[in-house]
Amino acid sequence: MLNTAGLRLDQAPPLTVPFAFFLGAPPFAVAAGLLLAWQGEGALAARWTPAALALAHLIALGFLSQILCGALLQLPPVLAGAPVPRVVPVGRAAQALLATGTALLCVGLALGWGLALGVGALGAAAGLTLLAGAVAVALSRGRGSVDTRRAMGLGLGALAVTVVLGLMLSAALLGWVRLPGLPGWVDLHLGWGLLGWAGLILMGVGYQVVPMFHVTPAYPGWLRSWSAPLAAGGLVAATVLTLAGQAQRATWGLGLVAACFAVFALTTLDRQRRRERPILDATLLHWRLAMACVLAAVLLWFTGGRAETIGVLLLVGVGVGLPSGMLFKIMPFLSWFHLQQRQLAARRFDLRIPHMHAFIPERRARIHWGLHLVALGLLVAATLAPGRGLAPLAGLALALSAGYLGLLLIGCYLRYRALSRRF
Amino acid sequence: MAQVLDVRTLPPPEPLERVLDALTALPNGGRLWVLHRREPFPLYDMLQTMGYSWRVRGREGHFEILIWDSGAPPTRAELSWNPPC
Repeated sequence: MLNTAGLRLDQAPPLTVPFAFFLGAPPFAVAAGLLLAWQGEGALAARWTPAALALAHLIALGFLSQILCGALLQLPPVLAGAPVPRVVPVGRAAQALLATGTALLCVGLALGWGLALGVGALGAAAGLTLLAGAVAVALSRGRGSVDTRRAMGLGLGALAVTVVLGLMLSAALLGWVRLPGLPGWVDLHLGWGLLGWAGLILMGVGYQVVPMFHVTPAYPGWLRSWSAPLAAGGLVAATVLTLAGQAQRATWGLGLVAACFAVFALTTLDRQRRRERPILDATLLHWRLAMACVLAAVLLWFTGGRAETIGVLLLVGVGVGLPSGMLFKIMPFLSWFHLQQRQLAARRFDLRIPHMHAFIPERRARIHWGLHLVALGLLVAATLAPGRGLAPLAGLALALSAGYLGLLLIGCYLRYRALSRRF
Repeated sequence: MAQVLDVRTLPPPEPLERVLDALTALPNGGRLWVLHRREPFPLYDMLQTMGYSWRVRGREGHFEILIWDSGAPPTRAELSWNPPC
């Protein structure tokens, strides 16, 4: 169980460190939407087009990884009672490297600029490695929920593999090394990044935040113990088989991973159905939509559906939707908690702190979910029915949805800043 | 008369928010019983700083916490009262 007693200002990082990651993420999703609106149908025609590669990295690195990094700096002190060492300089440096590196990498991928691609890949890799190393130290010193720490540790390991594979692929694109069977290596990079790094971290966080924020029964012990190691095992098997030149059989390993996430998604939907308060808030709507996307992606994958559709379901349906929904809880919660601590320290009990829900009004969060749903629907339709001119519209809808998310998050931070000046 | 506040089905930080609201409205010498599904450790730090005392009983899934102004301790009868669940 999450021990909020461990959430203390002397252990948690200054609020601005995770918030900088959270606030820095939406512009990358806006950029992805605008790129799609500009490039149109061609961007979604195949997963190998320069625009598709840039789109995938704007969302996977710029949006999703940035939010995961911010959350990882915040979570070890909360979940494991262990602060991340030198959290302020590590956080600032990692974010600068990741954001700049991602921007350069995507420019390099979209426009074929070798120097930007190489420098960008190195920058993003350095930022992620720095952050993963610091968080791994914190987790190794921590205590508390073993299942969550195991999933996070495996997620960090998956990130390391993703970074190495990404650097290898960049070197191959620049013509520095030869990688026979390139598509197989790309599948591994994508699998370790999306299913390993993002999937395992989201799974580990889900075990804690779903029962906590939606007052549901806990996840079954067998699932918490086995799902993350089994999924990681599937990725290892796929990698070994690819290295052995048996790329076809590597799909068996990925099938195991897909099955693990399908069971996780079904269990999450079941737990949420059994929640104690029958309130359907924006976070829960995002969770449900994301879990439905996981199940749809798994179904499509097993039935030989289009890779582009599966990519949109996982990258946008899960990778954009789920972190957005969680931020609607996490940012107000942290704002409220830090203000509460400041009030205690100043002993100003005459001043009232607004309730957590006042930081991001529920009605606006629901409007964002509606915009996200429209964007996701258009994106999926654009991949299923190419040639209908839906891609630019889908791009604009994605940019609008992410832009609105950014405004809501900035509003939350400005409200916190205005209130914190009273103490 | 003791006031009873049931926060068992609320997600964090709503239990803490509701307790702080209730304490603000509590008359001098008043008692507040809180029904909670877990032990609210962060609340204890706040109560101490704000000049309140408390007594907790129960088990995981159901805790009963009696809170009072430190200057007006409860009687034995008030301590042994069973709040309606």
